[in-house]
Amino acid sequence: MKVIKGKTVSKQGEVEGEALVTDNLIAFWGATDWETGEIVEVAHPLRGRNIKDKVLVFPAGKGGAGDTFGYYYLYRNGKAPKALVCNRPQPTTVAGALLCNTPMVYGFRENVIDLIANGDIVKVDSNAGTVEVIPRRNRRLSK
Amino acid sequence: MNLTKEQKDMLIGKEGRGPRMAMDFFCKMGEAQGASRMVEISRVHLMPPDLMFCPYGKQGIWNQELINELLKDVKRFKVPTTIEPKFLNFEVAKELGFPESTVKEIKEIQGSAIERYESMGTIPTYSALPFLIFPGRFGEHISVAESIAILWYNTIFGSRCERDDGFTSLCAAITGCVPEVGVHIPKNRHGEVVVKLKDDLNVERLAPADYDALGYAASVRVKEKRPVFVGLPSHMRLTQLKHFLATIAVECGLDLMHIVGLTPEAPTLEAALGGKEPLKEITVGKKEVEQAYETACTADNLQVDYVLLGCPHLTFPELRDVAETLKGKKVDRNVKLIAVTTRFYREAAEEMGYEQIIKDAGGILTDSMCIAFAGSHLKNCTIATESIKGAFFFSGFSPKSRRKVWFGDIKDCVKSAITGQWEGGCAK
Repeated sequence: MKVIKGKTVSKQGEVEGEALVTDNLIAFWGATDWETGEIVEVAHPLRGRNIKDKVLVFPAGKGGAGDTFGYYYLYRNGKAPKALVCNRPQPTTVAGALLCNTPMVYGFRENVIDLIANGDIVKVDSNAGTVEVIPRRNRRLSK
Repeated sequence: MNLTKEQKDMLIGKEGRGPRMAMDFFCKMGEAQGASRMVEISRVHLMPPDLMFCPYGKQGIWNQELINELLKDVKRFKVPTTIEPKFLNFEVAKELGFPESTVKEIKEIQGSAIERYESMGTIPTYSALPFLIFPGRFGEHISVAESIAILWYNTIFGSRCERDDGFTSLCAAITGCVPEVGVHIPKNRHGEVVVKLKDDLNVERLAPADYDALGYAASVRVKEKRPVFVGLPSHMRLTQLKHFLATIAVECGLDLMHIVGLTPEAPTLEAALGGKEPLKEITVGKKEVEQAYETACTADNLQVDYVLLGCPHLTFPELRDVAETLKGKKVDRNVKLIAVTTRFYREAAEEMGYEQIIKDAGGILTDSMCIAFAGSHLKNCTIATESIKGAFFFSGFSPKSRRKVWFGDIKDCVKSAITGQWEGGCAK
């Protein structure tokens, strides 16, 4: 089992979910539909995919300084991701995670995009600041 | 976290509920990023959500709940504050298709926000370009919430501010400090990726919109790594810089970049990189710039319904371009042209006769609002705009809106308003 260690934004316990991975930056305000959780940015490779309840794995956040509120509206609508996993802690992403109590882990030794594949089931432990990729053959055993 | 006595008092609630909430949030922000103390700031540029982020409907209520809690027991901000544009200037509510009932809600929420911040001493700038009204000092710690302004204060002035937002900028104004993280610390200010320009790009002839496209082409390649640009003219104009930085701020989510020979922390490439080797070096040229135009243009219909200009707010030379292109002409009856700027510039434009020229042609000049957010309430239409930041928002928010965008030079946008057809490049 592969466990990678990073830093945590706040201790929000452990969550497990399906990874949605991109090596492009992600914005929430204007780039996602806060009513549905769908990524709508025209040139984004994840356009049309939904971030609701996913473990969103991306290099860092981008967008305007209003981005925190894009995330906040997603959260209030029940469309936010389960956890955020990034290389860098872009401040509007950190503020969004803190406002919405979303587990967020960042700052790994390696590029996290290379370690997690789209569709992987991952466990994010925001108390320990770790991310664990659950191998496919063990999926049935782990809840 | 090592706090001063005043900061500790705020944290335990001696100054009331709002200051306690703000200081608690900053302790969490700081701990999340490894800070051990706060740094005192000299001022704040606010982006209050109840003023700007669609202040109506359920999100209007969510914002008010959140902000009422944060501002409880706060009578005065601890440092001087300026403020972002409002969501909507009501003189264009009808043109932008807002129903009467929504306007009523906005009037209530946005209106009480205006009253609240002005009564707390906020300078009523309502501008996306606060750096033109209140320049920064080198090394000055500040808090700014507006992506281009954050990038501008750090890059052009050498001031120090993180990517603060609607919530954290209010926390900064309430507490007078911010966590000491990121670009507040000198060792985090160096460039990481070198961006060079190919010979086929004639930098002496780049129009402002070309700088959007160049900024976009660089952004998608450098992503979250701070770029150092080599080969740009040191005499780049303010309007060109506005277009360049606005795009990079949104597309990279960066607070700082460098332009060798132009920005204060980049007298040389070596200085900008802090003596380190760059992580990588990229080159962008004509092809990459043309691709950026194509990406930003999502329209397929040559017929233009709206020409929305001013994200971020139009500079004075841009207002002159609009007026000179419209002089003696008429906006097509099927097109609405709305140009948005900051109040100070609108007053200057009025004095110069530009506002009258725009009015006589059937266009609208307005001020102090966010055309990108308010304009993104239109549905099923084609919008022409002069900025990629504007295009990013107009073509976003919801797939159901079916807003399509033409992006190009400001004069081409205005010509399109006259003919009713897209007059810029990259027509498919």
